[in-house]
Amino acid sequence: MNAPVRPDAVVVGALPIAVPDPAIRFEAVGKTYPARRGQQPVTALEGIDLDVPAGAILGVIGRSGAGKSTLIRLVNGLERATAGRILIEGENVTGLNEAGWRRQRRRIGMIFQHFNLLSSRTVFDNVALPLEIAGTPRAEISAKVERLLALVGLSDKSERYPSELSGGQKQRVGIARALATDPKVLLCDEATSALDPETTRSILALLKQVNRELGITILLITHEIPVIKEICDRVAVIEDGRIVEQGETFSVFTNPQHPTTALFVEAVTGVEVPAHLEGQIRAVPREGDNLVLRITFTGANATAPVISRLSAVVGVDVNILAGRIDAIAGQPFGSLLVSIPARLPESDAVLGALRALGLKAEVVGHVS
Amino acid sequence: MFPDFLSPQIISLIWQSTLDTLTMVAVAAGLGTFFGLPLGVFLATSKRGELFASPLANLVLGTLVNATRSTPFIILVVAIIPFTRLIAGTSIGTAAAIVPLTVAATPFIARLIEGAVREVDQGLVEAARAMGATPLQIVRKVLVPEALPAIVLGLTLALVSLIGFSAMVGAVGGGGLGDLGIRYGYQRFMPDVMAAVVAVLIVLVQLVQSIGDRLARRLNKRLRHA
Repeated sequence: MNAPVRPDAVVVGALPIAVPDPAIRFEAVGKTYPARRGQQPVTALEGIDLDVPAGAILGVIGRSGAGKSTLIRLVNGLERATAGRILIEGENVTGLNEAGWRRQRRRIGMIFQHFNLLSSRTVFDNVALPLEIAGTPRAEISAKVERLLALVGLSDKSERYPSELSGGQKQRVGIARALATDPKVLLCDEATSALDPETTRSILALLKQVNRELGITILLITHEIPVIKEICDRVAVIEDGRIVEQGETFSVFTNPQHPTTALFVEAVTGVEVPAHLEGQIRAVPREGDNLVLRITFTGANATAPVISRLSAVVGVDVNILAGRIDAIAGQPFGSLLVSIPARLPESDAVLGALRALGLKAEVVGHVS
Repeated sequence: MFPDFLSPQIISLIWQSTLDTLTMVAVAAGLGTFFGLPLGVFLATSKRGELFASPLANLVLGTLVNATRSTPFIILVVAIIPFTRLIAGTSIGTAAAIVPLTVAATPFIARLIEGAVREVDQGLVEAARAMGATPLQIVRKVLVPEALPAIVLGLTLALVSLIGFSAMVGAVGGGGLGDLGIRYGYQRFMPDVMAAVVAVLIVLVQLVQSIGDRLARRLNKRLRHA
């Protein structure tokens, strides 16, 4: 009675317990555009291995031209993979024909950078469109659309046209429309890139609400690192058609492995040296200079009273030059720029104490 | 205004000609739209990689449309007389004139509609595809409604052109205002008839244009209307 154990099953004792299928799975997926006359074929994506766990929010970040638009369009068949397999809730969708894809797409919502609302339809009729396409009876459509508009907070705009709405309101309509057919997966194609920071925040909050309350898995692509920081449980960094790094957002942000990732996360995690100090920090110390350190806090350490402990334990004066504490994927993370006396043994004692507290400290330079 | 010149008979002639012109233009425009709308939509959606991709059919139809459009109307009228006879049973008269008018209007309207449909944001087509829409649903629910204001303006332009064309079908006994102007105004030296014909044409064109503009504006929801 040796039942074959699925490779993705966890065996506890003798009983295989199935791990739920990821909402979306890419297996060695590639996309190559055939050669145009007089040109080489273009490889947009290569060797993509990526799991989007059910119920998660996964963000793919990359510069423009990195392949993220192609990647997200492979999930609903707007583009077709030329290598590998794509599985949606365990079902292989790679070989689907157009009719098969149409059925599949009704289970996958999508929102766009430029909203793509029909200018000739009211807000109500825009949200009703996917239901009309799916052949939903009129009476059902009406109740459903009203519920969705209430969810996104636009019940009072039902009879307005898109041209009468702000960008944020348009994207709310886009979200309501994408949710109309009760999808399991929502694809967000640069959904906040055309919005101002404040509106971005409110749209991200709505996406998070949709994810938590409706249990919808979200795959989003963006070039804006704050979007990842704000709502993504997991992140994948894409460059030149390959995923160069992926993992939980917090660990990727606090410990980036790839230079591209480091560059992206620096903008939100690194404390830059303030402009007025930049000219004063020297690589080579002079007599009586202080040492400048960058201390990085992660997780629980971020809230520990580090500075007072340093002063108390080591007995040195710690001067704070700059600092910032932020949340990444809901976990606190911060960094601090401080100066301490450069004299031995005090400086060694400080570095030792920091290490003992589990903090990362690096010497940035010297300042008088 | 011309009590001595425009006798009741002449006025009734002008009235009859106006009705003939309106009939010819309306029927030709109706039929031209009936054939031109699907043709235009197909031309706008059948190039490589598009909704109904069939580059060969696009090329063939596009060439046919260009050929018809580059033939001067008066030559077209004469050239297709056998075809006109086949369809209308005769090659003379107002009913017969509708055939060449329709043949000329169809490719013209098709190109106007192609242009209007091509103006629709491709993002909307992508959004509809992402909802699982079939190509026909995309045409019916996205492309045509979104292009409608531009289509209405195009059809207005086509109507005005058809009013002009209709003056030429007098060559095959088509009747209408143009024919009246030539036969009475020009050949019989009746400048008052000529002036009256021109005045009626001006009013007709003006009317068509302003109704078309107004309708297009009303249909266009892209502008903020507070």
